[in-house]
Amino acid sequence: MARTTAARSARGPAGIASGPVPAPAGGRSNRSGPPPVVVLICVLIAAFALLPLGYVAVMTVGAGWETISTLVFRPRVAELLMNTVALVVITVPLCVVLGVGGAWLVERTSLRGHKAWSLLLAAPLAIPAFVNSYAWVSAIPSLSGIFGGVLISTLSYFPLVYIPVAATLSRMDPALEQSGSSLGLGSWRVFARVVLPQLRLAIAGGALLVALHLLAEYGAFAMIRFDTFTTAIYEQYQSTFNGAAANMLASVLVVFCLLLLLAESRTRGNARYARIGSGAQASPARLTLGLHAIPAQLALAALTALAFGVPLYHVGRWLIAGGATIWARPELVSSLLQTLGYGLAGALVTTALAFPLAYLAVRHPGWLSKTLEAVNYISSSMPGIVVALAFVTITVHGLPAIYQTSTVLVAAYVLLFMPRSLVNLRAGLAQAPRELDEAARALGKAPFTAFLRVTLRLSAPAAAGGAALVFLGIVNELTATLLLSPNGTATLATEFWKLSSEIDYAGAAPYALLMILLSAPMTYLLFSQSKKAAGQ
Amino acid sequence: MTESRQTQQRPRHPHTARARRSSPPVAATTDNHLLIEGARKSFGGTEVLKGVDLAVAKGRTTAIVGPSGSGKTTLLRLIAGFEAPDAGTISLDGQPVAGPSDWVPAHRRKVGYVAQDGALFPHLTVGQNVAFGLAGRGGKAAAGRVAELLEMVSMDPSYAKRRPHQLSGGQQQRVALARALAREPALMLLDEPFSALDAGLRVATRRAVAATLSEAGVTTILVTHDQAEALSFADQVAVMRDGKLAQIGNPFVVYTRPADRATAEFLGDAVILEAWMEGSLATCSLGGIPVRRPPVQGRVLLMLRPEQIRIAEDGPIHGTVVDTDYFGPETTVRLQLEPLALSKDPHQPKGGEIISIRHWNAMLARPGVRLSLRVVGEGVAFPFA
Repeated sequence: MARTTAARSARGPAGIASGPVPAPAGGRSNRSGPPPVVVLICVLIAAFALLPLGYVAVMTVGAGWETISTLVFRPRVAELLMNTVALVVITVPLCVVLGVGGAWLVERTSLRGHKAWSLLLAAPLAIPAFVNSYAWVSAIPSLSGIFGGVLISTLSYFPLVYIPVAATLSRMDPALEQSGSSLGLGSWRVFARVVLPQLRLAIAGGALLVALHLLAEYGAFAMIRFDTFTTAIYEQYQSTFNGAAANMLASVLVVFCLLLLLAESRTRGNARYARIGSGAQASPARLTLGLHAIPAQLALAALTALAFGVPLYHVGRWLIAGGATIWARPELVSSLLQTLGYGLAGALVTTALAFPLAYLAVRHPGWLSKTLEAVNYISSSMPGIVVALAFVTITVHGLPAIYQTSTVLVAAYVLLFMPRSLVNLRAGLAQAPRELDEAARALGKAPFTAFLRVTLRLSAPAAAGGAALVFLGIVNELTATLLLSPNGTATLATEFWKLSSEIDYAGAAPYALLMILLSAPMTYLLFSQSKKAAGQ
Repeated sequence: MTESRQTQQRPRHPHTARARRSSPPVAATTDNHLLIEGARKSFGGTEVLKGVDLAVAKGRTTAIVGPSGSGKTTLLRLIAGFEAPDAGTISLDGQPVAGPSDWVPAHRRKVGYVAQDGALFPHLTVGQNVAFGLAGRGGKAAAGRVAELLEMVSMDPSYAKRRPHQLSGGQQQRVALARALAREPALMLLDEPFSALDAGLRVATRRAVAATLSEAGVTTILVTHDQAEALSFADQVAVMRDGKLAQIGNPFVVYTRPADRATAEFLGDAVILEAWMEGSLATCSLGGIPVRRPPVQGRVLLMLRPEQIRIAEDGPIHGTVVDTDYFGPETTVRLQLEPLALSKDPHQPKGGEIISIRHWNAMLARPGVRLSLRVVGEGVAFPFA
């Protein structure tokens, strides 16, 4: 069935003069059968996405138990484990409290200027964590250890909880809260017993993202000399290129990631909180804050000042201190161009590869599309350092011709940022139902023309949105870029990293500014999209 | 065609359906615009169409009616060319378009298609939607044709500049029809195009669409689950059940002389009584009812439409009102009929059933009142299941 569908669709646009045409033997299309070309492409993409995980598995198994036990069961690993676990255990709840609290104040209270606040609370996402770290080290040069790690990562990552929770809150049917009130619950108890349970999915999803970022972050922690698995793997890699020690640390990190993914899927369970019933939804009633408005405003002002104000202030301070000379470095323009080049290439390739996966998931849902999607989500959850390490080893041993070429770097970007494109394309394709495609065919358009003029055209805005988010990710990517970029490559992130590692903070400032400026519109896009997507 | 199912239901009379069918299923004349023979289709192991034969004459209107899941939309999709049949052939104007050795894809079939929700392209204006299928026409000519098409579906040409979401549901359906008419298809397929509209709009849109299509002389196939819609819209009604066409015929025949009990009950309210068939007279608790061409003699089930049972002062039959259900223009009256004189033969009907009829005067029928009844017209007998 699959094979013959391909034959038929290949024949479609080729053009048949008129009248009936002999069909290939047994040629039958099936509504539930996806085009085999698409399936093949999707399977290849999934196989490619499994490379890092496969690499880690093969390395771990190949190392043998003895090597594993000597490399894993040692005080250094225990120390890293302590640090990483403490970081996750302290930072994630802090992010949840700040994210949920902020979202509730902005979406459900009579807070003055809630529109401005709702944007300001998402704004810290425009500042890469390692730029945030740079600013805080400028402010408090002695900042280090778990305290510094928690401070910087909380301020950098709480918007990852805030954005989905705010979006869910703004879409939540107020009738449920009204039912709660009519059943005799006070405002606080309505929040705890009606609102909070409905936020579970958004909170769990946001918390998972924060935890994965914590495991993957290199620059922000390296700058304050706080050792996590990721920083330790990078150091190991620098000292003993492709050593077994780095590989073993990576496999512990991967196990950690998989445990987090499992934990999140457990909390999520099969819960669905779709709005039941039809009809227009009323806008939610806002709780009057009264005298509490003052501490609420102060708390939000303090949070914004710490998360957004401090980095902007210190970047600005270094820019002024550096004067005109810091803009004169020739690397500045070339690194901007290279960043834009990698960003665009990565965004385009990622979107092109995400399209068949999204198409399969939307038009032919089933176990196959679910599995392929899950493979991509899981492998994209792996830290950049693991992906980079895998690509380095695989290219060195298997494909020396492309070792340290831009191809490998773009491939790593595709792998790391695929879900951003996938999520958007899925939503976009859902806007272009099969019926429209069929309507075009009934109007005399060949299948391929119909696809171009209807399905592709209708999903274009979503594809562009997804591409922009991939671009944002690439602009701020540091770890994989450091390991994989060809010699002589300089992106904004790597140049910033080089200069700030040399304690040339003034010289690094223009790069920080450019990254923030490039990220700002994409962050706004992410923010406005989340509002639309919630509740679907 | 209906044989195997009926064999299951009524083992004693395997040929009933064939004998009773009001028109032959496939008249292989050159007049047939569409001819489907033995079409089968399965999805993932489930057989949705179990061998369908259908002939549609040029310029006529056919309604395929059946409950949801009966396979009627799949049949329409086979005709449109969105799916290929697993077995059987489909011909348009005598040219095979789907079969063991033929395949013409949807875009080369010259078949118009209007989907349930209109499926207007949201990124195009009304005018661009209508012009979508017009190939190789210049701007001016296309604009003129669009205006002409919009007028054909009784819409002002000024609507051409609007977006689909600015139209009401009925207007969207009419634009979808105009878009499908643009290519002057010889065959128009309508997939429940009125079911998303509310009741008042549905009737008005249906009339408008039927008028437009008959003026254009387009052969039309309507798929619907609404039997009233099917009966009022079409020249020919095909009743679909469990992947087969249970009966094909003109609306009056299909309604008054259904092929089997399930068809009878699907097409409208039916009064079903046990009866004893002798010659062409069925004896039941409503007296002796004439039956044209009875399938069997002896024990049968007799079907009458409720409107055939009238309340009449001089009526020979009596029944006692059990309860009533008032809904404005009419009242549904449930009546307890009187038992028949006891016969020793256990196969003879005993009578005393409760039936539902309709009457305009709610005051007449209070519970407990004994009414006189008269039966108008013929009944239909089905072999006793």
